Amino acid sequence: MKRWIAIVVIVLVAMAVPQVLNPSGYWMRVFTLTLLFAAMAQAWNLIGGLANQLSLGHAAFFGIGAYTSTILLLKFGISPWIGMFAAGALGGLAALVIAVPTMRLQGHYFALATLAFGEVARVIANVWTSLTGGPGGLSVPFVPPSFAAYSFKQLLPHAYIALVALIIVTVIFEVIRRGAMGYRLRAIRENAAAAEVIGIDTTKVKLQTAVISGVLTAMLGTLFAQVAVFFDPDTAFSAASISIRVALIAIIGGVGTAVGPILGAFFIVPIEELMNDLFSSGAAGLSQLIFGVILIVVILWRPRGLVTIFEALRARLQGRGAQS
Amino acid sequence: MSKTSSHRGRINRRTVLAGTASLIAAPWISSTARAQAKQVNIGVIMPLSGANAQFGTNSRNGIELVADEINAAGGIKALGNAKINLIVADATSTPTTAGTVAQRMISQNEVTAILGAFASSLTIAISEVTERRDIPLLTMSFADQITGRGYKNIFQVVAKASALGKAQLDYTVAIAQAAGTRIDKIAIMYEDTAYGTAQAGGLRAAAKAANIELVMDDAYPLGITDTTPLINKLRASGAQAVFPVSYLNDSLLLIRTMRQQRITIPAIGGAAGYVIPDFEKGLGEFAEGVLSIAPANYDLDTGLTDRFRKRFGYFMVHEALEHAVALDVLVQAIEKAKSAKAEDVTMALRGAKFTGGWTNAMTGGAVEFDSSGLNTASIPVMVQWRKKELVTVWPKDVAKGAAEWKS
Repeated sequence: MKRWIAIVVIVLVAMAVPQVLNPSGYWMRVFTLTLLFAAMAQAWNLIGGLANQLSLGHAAFFGIGAYTSTILLLKFGISPWIGMFAAGALGGLAALVIAVPTMRLQGHYFALATLAFGEVARVIANVWTSLTGGPGGLSVPFVPPSFAAYSFKQLLPHAYIALVALIIVTVIFEVIRRGAMGYRLRAIRENAAAAEVIGIDTTKVKLQTAVISGVLTAMLGTLFAQVAVFFDPDTAFSAASISIRVALIAIIGGVGTAVGPILGAFFIVPIEELMNDLFSSGAAGLSQLIFGVILIVVILWRPRGLVTIFEALRARLQGRGAQS
Repeated sequence: MSKTSSHRGRINRRTVLAGTASLIAAPWISSTARAQAKQVNIGVIMPLSGANAQFGTNSRNGIELVADEINAAGGIKALGNAKINLIVADATSTPTTAGTVAQRMISQNEVTAILGAFASSLTIAISEVTERRDIPLLTMSFADQITGRGYKNIFQVVAKASALGKAQLDYTVAIAQAAGTRIDKIAIMYEDTAYGTAQAGGLRAAAKAANIELVMDDAYPLGITDTTPLINKLRASGAQAVFPVSYLNDSLLLIRTMRQQRITIPAIGGAAGYVIPDFEKGLGEFAEGVLSIAPANYDLDTGLTDRFRKRFGYFMVHEALEHAVALDVLVQAIEKAKSAKAEDVTMALRGAKFTGGWTNAMTGGAVEFDSSGLNTASIPVMVQWRKKELVTVWPKDVAKGAAEWKS
């Protein structure tokens, strides 16, 4: 009961925040990007947290999503709302194609294989100029604003769309985590051989998770393209600013929990922006250096993620309750 | 009991420090940097870290030189001697970041205009923001898309990439002809970036129009580590001249490998890495005689550009010069509009011709924007490395020296 009250309060606060921000200002953009990255980290969390497979190739699905909807819009005038589902379908297909050969890999080998897949996707987007526009990138055309066309003059609607997306992805994550699939994934994570013995089709469960994660990430790629408006292969398929960042957000926040990626995103994205705002006019790279130091400190302080702050707080509160 | 309370205190303090305080403080910290009275805020977004940091820093130097000179001479007269206040920020090498920075400058710093951002992909990302917010963006990025999208708030002070690529070929043919050589076989190699592919496209089209055979037409990945296969292919191709298009590190590697393998055919670079002091520093004697196309060159008006050399200790590279011109033109537009409002300045820029000041260092001696925002007065120049300096050698009417051509 208490938990539900907390969730409702958080959602209401999140809905109120855009109302107090400048509707097409800087903090609105940061807020929107934060929500989108939280949702992407949550989608990553399915495979990285529940299946315990450290994927460093999610930029592939993300980029496929951004490119699919934008190409459909540019070439056929199809609304990104519909393009988003085409994006999801292709993203899921790509996840299946990569998961079949890589799912048997463990740990570092899986991470490296997925990293390579993201890079391959980037190279293809660079070379396949007739489809993707090549290294010059794609601009989402500015069509007359309307909800059906997914085109708005202000950032405000984008913030709410991103919020809804984050809620949907989080609900999917929780449903899977608490359901039979979550139990199977946990069994596989603890001991794959034992899971096989008790009758879990480990390959199938992992594949299902990978495909759901791929579909969601690609659909979020579409939302991102609508906010950023311009992207090129190096942005959409970026190992550093998409694949690793999404994993980093989930890890800093707390892997395998629904709250973790949200905490991580609301920590990392604004802090990075703030550092750029405060220090980037000074010495070159100073802002990134300070950002990096902050990350190292946080990881050393909370190796299992920011989410453990709440666990520690709760334990302390309960401890105090027992004492008094 | 005391132990518990001290622990609780520590957690609370840390949580507050690490988490909420900085986030809550964030909007207020930035807004304290707001403009004071009597100054005009101008945003400068450059890649100050990452692969293009050097070009970004050069550009910032050029802008700071002009801003300081204008401020020292009494600021913007039409606005009661208002001072120029530059707001500089790092775009890193990510277009999304560049767009976010632009959004920040517009909503927090209330900038009149934005200058930036050297790399075409960053400039395009910024232009998507400035166009929706009606803020003028002045740039020296080359990509054709910049003024090819029908945007109303963008101003490109140099010729487009396709025009540069065309001039790179046409000027070379003319220079060779003047030396008594007819060119009918050439090689192109370019990095697979927006800049590389666009310029290669211009080269290719010009070669086709001039009936010149492309015996090699290869893209390679940015940051290539082994150029030997490319150079071997070049040797076998029988090309009379090679047109490499690349940033600094790749240009050093390509030219060095070529010269070490005793391939002496003329190399005509595509600006970027070929026209900065580090090219000569990295290559030494191998740099001598290398040609390159450039959107502008400092020797066209040394009276102006020597001020840069005096302050920063190296010659005024073209991106510094063009950004200096961009700021000069912007200030002229503010003077003309008698207003620092973005829409008034855009009106004053669009379709107008600017002369005097730093525009003297441009080919054409003026800056004139057409309705798409492209400076139609600017034509590219061919420069050649001579004893650590770049000499303009073509077109003949602006050349400061004769081209050396060794076929």
